[in-house]
Amino acid sequence: MPVPLVSFRQVSYEYPRSERPALLDVDLDIRAGEIVGLTGATGSGKTTLCLALNGTVPQFFGGRFYGRLLVEGRDTLDHPIHEQAAGVALVLQDPSAQLIAATVEQEIAFALENLRVPRAEIVLRIETALAAVGLSALRARHPHTLSGGQQQRLALAAAFATRPRLMVLDEPTSQLDPRSALGVFALIRELNAQYGIAFLITGHAPEEMAATVQRLVVLAGGRVVADAPPEDVYRDLPLLSRNSIRPPGVTVTFAQLAERGATRLAPPIRLEVGLEQIKHLPAPRPFDPPVATPAQSGVPILSLDRVSHVYADGTRALTDLTLEVHRRDYLAVLGQNGAGKSTLLRHFLHLLQPTEGSVRIDGALLATYSAPELAQRVGYVPQNPDRQLFNATVEAEVGFSLRVLSLPPGERERRIHTVLDSLGLLPLRHRHPFSLSRGDRARVVIAAVLALEPEILVFDEPTTGQDDEGARAILDLTRRLNQEGRTVILVTHHLSLLPGYANRAILLRGGRLVLDASLRTAFHDLEALASTDLQPTHAVALARAADDRLRTFTPEELAGLYGAHPTSQGSTP
Amino acid sequence: MTSPTLHSVGRSTGFVALDFRAKAAIFVAASCLAILWDDVRFTVGLALIVLAGCRAAGISGSYLAFVLRVMSPFFVLLLGTHGFFNQQYVLRLTGQEQLTALIAVPEPWWVVGGMVLSKEGLLYGATAVGKSLTFLLLVPLCVFTTDPNQWVVGLVRLRIPFKFAFLISSTLRFFPLIFDEIQAVRETQRLRGFALETMGPLERVRTYGRIAVPVILSAMHKAQQIEVVLQSRAFSGRSDRTYLHSPELGAAGWITIVLSAAAVVAAVIVELTTGLGRFVTL
Repeated sequence: MPVPLVSFRQVSYEYPRSERPALLDVDLDIRAGEIVGLTGATGSGKTTLCLALNGTVPQFFGGRFYGRLLVEGRDTLDHPIHEQAAGVALVLQDPSAQLIAATVEQEIAFALENLRVPRAEIVLRIETALAAVGLSALRARHPHTLSGGQQQRLALAAAFATRPRLMVLDEPTSQLDPRSALGVFALIRELNAQYGIAFLITGHAPEEMAATVQRLVVLAGGRVVADAPPEDVYRDLPLLSRNSIRPPGVTVTFAQLAERGATRLAPPIRLEVGLEQIKHLPAPRPFDPPVATPAQSGVPILSLDRVSHVYADGTRALTDLTLEVHRRDYLAVLGQNGAGKSTLLRHFLHLLQPTEGSVRIDGALLATYSAPELAQRVGYVPQNPDRQLFNATVEAEVGFSLRVLSLPPGERERRIHTVLDSLGLLPLRHRHPFSLSRGDRARVVIAAVLALEPEILVFDEPTTGQDDEGARAILDLTRRLNQEGRTVILVTHHLSLLPGYANRAILLRGGRLVLDASLRTAFHDLEALASTDLQPTHAVALARAADDRLRTFTPEELAGLYGAHPTSQGSTP
Repeated sequence: MTSPTLHSVGRSTGFVALDFRAKAAIFVAASCLAILWDDVRFTVGLALIVLAGCRAAGISGSYLAFVLRVMSPFFVLLLGTHGFFNQQYVLRLTGQEQLTALIAVPEPWWVVGGMVLSKEGLLYGATAVGKSLTFLLLVPLCVFTTDPNQWVVGLVRLRIPFKFAFLISSTLRFFPLIFDEIQAVRETQRLRGFALETMGPLERVRTYGRIAVPVILSAMHKAQQIEVVLQSRAFSGRSDRTYLHSPELGAAGWITIVLSAAAVVAAVIVELTTGLGRFVTL
């Protein structure tokens, strides 16, 4: 049997001053040319394992390292990190944070120069790498002017150019829109097929993982708890549930069909297989979607009237956008990167002003509100909660927001207590916010925002970087706040998470409003989705494959149409 | 989100392509001239030439306008302090016994009564403004037009130890990260109702103090990430590496260095022999 490319033998590791091991008794082999997926809950040790592969752990971070890790037969402890770069290329999750040169081609050349590759060879490798990732035309561009997807492709090209035996990609698509994520995974498959490079890919993207990896490893508490073909792992729903891993939508749907006796086949993990299989099932019962709640009349709480925005450099980000958001709406804002979502959000928050048109709250121009007044009307939860944390305790963090208000004695304390209690943060009230998990830090920011009792809550990609449980917990909270009477506006790329939460969606493309409809209608407007390169969710694609007239949009709804016992139909319009 | 960078020139110009050592020569020569000259026409002229150089090198007009706007109170202060108070030094420069009064504050006025704004002092203030502006603009002219990696390469060629060159390069990468973080945190704080512009000075200082916590934590995290990225891409700090674009000085670089050196030598000789460049009262 050939020697594996990577061999973890009883590897354990503790970061300095850490109370628990980040890796524990890891035994894992990766063979040459293999694509291995690595998944697990947030904090399960995925990134640490990646960083161990080129010696960054423990050489850069320190800490205690036990066991043996061999890459290409060499112990990672015996060679400095920069020497190991020749064999192992590491790509981190934030593409923009790893770009260091002034031009695209210099970015690729950087590692090659450090590895003392002759100039003529560098030129050749740049050509090959740029062609492989489709960036040849952008060679002279500054890397920071590229889109997120292009930046990640550039990071892959820079890694690939070193001709590594192994490429380690730590959540390579977590910050990308769906179109870019698909492109990155397609590129991984191509590089593997053409050049035989082995890949270790971490992430929470089950659909893409299922279509790409040959083996899937699950980490929990730093231990390997599963190491099997992706079919076996993704079909083990209890294992996934225990480890906060979202299975592919097609797998969930077929598991539910099997539960109802509609099929005896093992649930597929790839959509194309599911689409084929569902055509061979008996015809589903007809589906009557619940009647959508009619839009509220009266003055909208937030309105944009023919808003356009052109940035100082001439970039037109929004064009003639008219939108009304009513009280208690739960609005999902969808679109690819560059579609204008962030620009739109910044208009809601008065961080940008329209170059044409107007933005109003309750009929009054947004520009007439002072910062404290606006904060009491519109609460904003950013993608990175850490930027809003700057107090020594959770309690002080929430109370700090209230300093802008002139509250009667006792009212401040009452509000802090109420908010902390409602978000389950009372037990953590004396903890330092940065000592909490990412999910808890997000809740602290939400609590600080809620203390001002805003009517409108704006969430920017709140589920990015969260595992399934973390994402659900945050979305559950947004639903609760909506049910309590608040208007919620949420920007996300994770379409499959939205059913059961949002009741309305808008779709942006190139700064224009393409669609404004109920979530169900939006999910089934395949033409509009295609026009923005958004893929329908697995549940929607399967429903339409089963019967083009079906308008189910969750696995539960679709499975409910098969088998002997009809179930109550979905409640989200 | 994109990471900020000091290399902010949006287009490639001949100056951008110039070897860092040639830019360093310009930096040193212009600094020497700014120190040497006390003639307001020369210092202000030099500042204007550097300003024009910045524009020609591709530095945005909005950035230069920002620098001028931010520094204008300081320039007014320079004119005022030299005009009103720098009498002894200016008298020594002119060799006169008395300065020419432009404005005399009436004696009975509280505190400022009796103060005199002199023409010569004001001229020397303008000279100081020219010198300051030259120094201020030379930094973006040389820094913004040079990729941090080229800094490292250029400094290594100047026989600066690689570790030191790498430290400078890392610092150049680090500062924009901090500015970016400050901006982001200020923005998010504003969304929690804190409008810094409406706060008193003390409250503003306190708020900035609090902002420092997430700013420093986040910037340190990013700096650490860059460090991991650099090492993962075989960056070792060793000088024996190859280069895609070999940082050879080339004809343009050598000409720049020779001309820069010649300009300084000529200015010194002219100043010593003819007095041109010394303070004049116009």
